[in-house]
Amino acid sequence: MRRLAPIELLLAALCLWAGWYHTPAGALVRTAGAWIFRTHSTARPLLAYYGAGVYQPHAAPPPLLTAPVPPAQALGYGAWATAEHLGTPAALSARIKALAARLDGVDEAAMLALFCGEEPARYALTRAQDEDGSPRLEDLARALPPRSADCIAQASQALAQAGAYALAWPLPESIRITSPFGMREHPVLGIRRLHAGVDLGTAVGTPVRATAAGVVRRASSDGVNGRILVLDHGRGVTTMYCHNDELLVQDGEHVRRGQVISYSGNTGRSSGPHLHYQLDLGGQAVDPLRYRAGHPRISSAGAAD
Amino acid sequence: MQLRVAERVGRLRWIFLPLGLCALTAVGAHAAADVVGDRVLWCVDRVSAFFDAVFASWSVTAPLVDLVGLSQRSFFARALALAWELSADALIAIPLLGYDERDGKTELRTARALLRKTPTPLRLVRPLATVLVAIAGACSVARMVQGSVQLTLHASLLSHFAAACALFALLLVFVPRAGFRALEHADQKGHLVATGVFGTLVLAPMMLAALYASPLVSFFR
Repeated sequence: MRRLAPIELLLAALCLWAGWYHTPAGALVRTAGAWIFRTHSTARPLLAYYGAGVYQPHAAPPPLLTAPVPPAQALGYGAWATAEHLGTPAALSARIKALAARLDGVDEAAMLALFCGEEPARYALTRAQDEDGSPRLEDLARALPPRSADCIAQASQALAQAGAYALAWPLPESIRITSPFGMREHPVLGIRRLHAGVDLGTAVGTPVRATAAGVVRRASSDGVNGRILVLDHGRGVTTMYCHNDELLVQDGEHVRRGQVISYSGNTGRSSGPHLHYQLDLGGQAVDPLRYRAGHPRISSAGAAD
Repeated sequence: MQLRVAERVGRLRWIFLPLGLCALTAVGAHAAADVVGDRVLWCVDRVSAFFDAVFASWSVTAPLVDLVGLSQRSFFARALALAWELSADALIAIPLLGYDERDGKTELRTARALLRKTPTPLRLVRPLATVLVAIAGACSVARMVQGSVQLTLHASLLSHFAAACALFALLLVFVPRAGFRALEHADQKGHLVATGVFGTLVLAPMMLAALYASPLVSFFR
């Protein structure tokens, strides 16, 4: 038994290394150690260890757009919004396209290659395929060692922003915005709070369309949001549609981009017929208008929630 | 010379073996909790939809609906996964620090005797969960070894070989010991039934998640 001791020591060291860098428990120990010895801890926040470390909240809003985003260049715009210094959106789009062509046409791997390098991305893709996993960023990220955490976070932000740039609009562009994203006095409650989406003043029964392909994460009803739909578009992009009159899809259903998913209404806590449209990136509400160059007119008169 | 090194390292086994077993199980618990993140979020969504429908019925409780928005649901799902993982760590990883090695034959004999006792769910869930979670941990460690060797030495064959060796050695040397210690710990007197029920509630889904987080075959492709 004792002859195996060096091998056992090596195995124990590997386990401790993995636990130290790869688990929230390790992060707790590192943070406690740093606190006791008054040093700086490099451990990430505990919740950042989930989802393979991707989809962390975005630090800064994306730069303002001067022209509409061509759908084929959404990935380039996503990369540009995350790291402007890498180049123009058009140049980045071309680079990502070239990388994707060399990486089995997988956009996630191409974005990972842009931020982490082509070899890690190729390795992660092979590993994910070996595990029969889908080439989602989470699956690719799990294959990479802990030192890649920062570039994985950048790639995930770029993919989420690209997803936001590629979104369509749920109602015709001619429909006015009656309450934009941001801090405001609530029209029903009368208190100041963040309005986490945009309100589009429209008549009851207007068809609401999915802004991108995705899966229905929630189709339910309550007295505040009314009839509510939440769509998960993958890559950390989620959209929410509230106060509908009628829902046309069910939990778990796959929807296409542009598919009519509901009819707008005046249900829940609402001052008149409108649609509350909300965009979340990595679990954080963002202004959907930041991802559109041209957008509907904003008018202070009209219904809101 | 070689023997002398092994002997010196062997004197430290009492400290590095329990630490290694504990770390392996903690890595496995994280892999299991992380791989089912989407399902945890799905559960949180269902619970949130239920409570939104209930709370929105009264004006006093209606503000609670806004309190837990879409963004908070992702936060709650991750917080729930964290609480689940840390509970599993407390139930199955920390007790492994009490591992006290005996020779292989004695361990096997003791394990057989323990298994022959009345096999109640409370007595069996922890050792079974420990073994499955430790296997998931071995896969995670092997994956990290493979990634690090590949991206440092740029040698695909070597990285495959290193990962397969690490996995095989962990499955052979560490996983059975973790199972044995868990069996021994589960049999110790002083466990409350409440703790056992809580443990079963935490560890039963963890076992399924650990199976899902153990891509054993992928290392030999």
